Amino acid sequence: MTDTATISQMAHLGAGIAIGFGAVGAGLGIGFATKGLMDAVSRQPEVAGKAFGFFLLGAALSEACALYAFVIAFMLLGK
Amino acid sequence: MEHWLYSFNIGEHTFWVNLDTLFTMWFAMLFVIVFALLATRKLSIIPNKLQAAAESIMNFFYGVLDTMIETENRKHVPLVASLFLFIVTANLMGQLPLRIIHIKQGELASPTNDINLTAAMAVIVLIYYVAAGLKAKGAKFFLHELSFTGIVMALVEVLEMFTRPLSLAIRLFANIFAGEILVSIALGAMAYFLPLPIMLFEILVAFIQATVFMMLTIAYIGSAVKEEH
Repeated sequence: MTDTATISQMAHLGAGIAIGFGAVGAGLGIGFATKGLMDAVSRQPEVAGKAFGFFLLGAALSEACALYAFVIAFMLLGK
Repeated sequence: MEHWLYSFNIGEHTFWVNLDTLFTMWFAMLFVIVFALLATRKLSIIPNKLQAAAESIMNFFYGVLDTMIETENRKHVPLVASLFLFIVTANLMGQLPLRIIHIKQGELASPTNDINLTAAMAVIVLIYYVAAGLKAKGAKFFLHELSFTGIVMALVEVLEMFTRPLSLAIRLFANIFAGEILVSIALGAMAYFLPLPIMLFEILVAFIQATVFMMLTIAYIGSAVKEEH
């Protein structure tokens, strides 16, 4: 069970699982951020420019969580 | 991504240097330094174009600092401004066609796709905000009150000293690294056409990530020097 080929296969499987679950969280986060932006703009259209700046900031912060998973997946691919 | 490694010995220890990161980093530093020198050379009441651009950039930093830190906010502008300008220049360099210059090993790309550089900047931010907090509050920076809640909060803050630089370093590194992987995958899928919109998106990401790094630095400094009520 512990030969190199099996470890490599399991590492590739783990990489796929890692990036998949990581993308779920980031997708939810960016979706909620977009919902918040739409709510704010439809309620108060004059804050659109300012709200979009905060939206980009929040989207970048939640997207970073998927990229942590990406780094882990990339490290696993190298095994 | 493999880097162009150079090793040397000091005493019994072997040190490794990523030469490609070093060259591109020096190039980015040179760009920022030359811009700053040219913009501040002949200062006048009626600014020329370069001075006007530099003044509006500084006003951006002053505005952000004024809204996020309450007292003595403008003395932090050297660190914040140099971090932002350096990260923007470094991130944008990744979209230049530097890869046509062949080097012995690895490739010339954005210096922020090396985790050593981003980790070094995150450690600088950590040292700066701990020093600013110690200067503003003394020993109260670590221990607000001598009670059970105070000790638990102090332990949480010690934990944050590890997680904050870690997340700062990995966020910037992973964004730039993932962008370069994405461009190379798009280049393999459909050469010359598919990478173009992705590279445009990467230019946006370069500015957003530099802003995120700067905002988080300011937020950490602000929470370190904030007066307790």
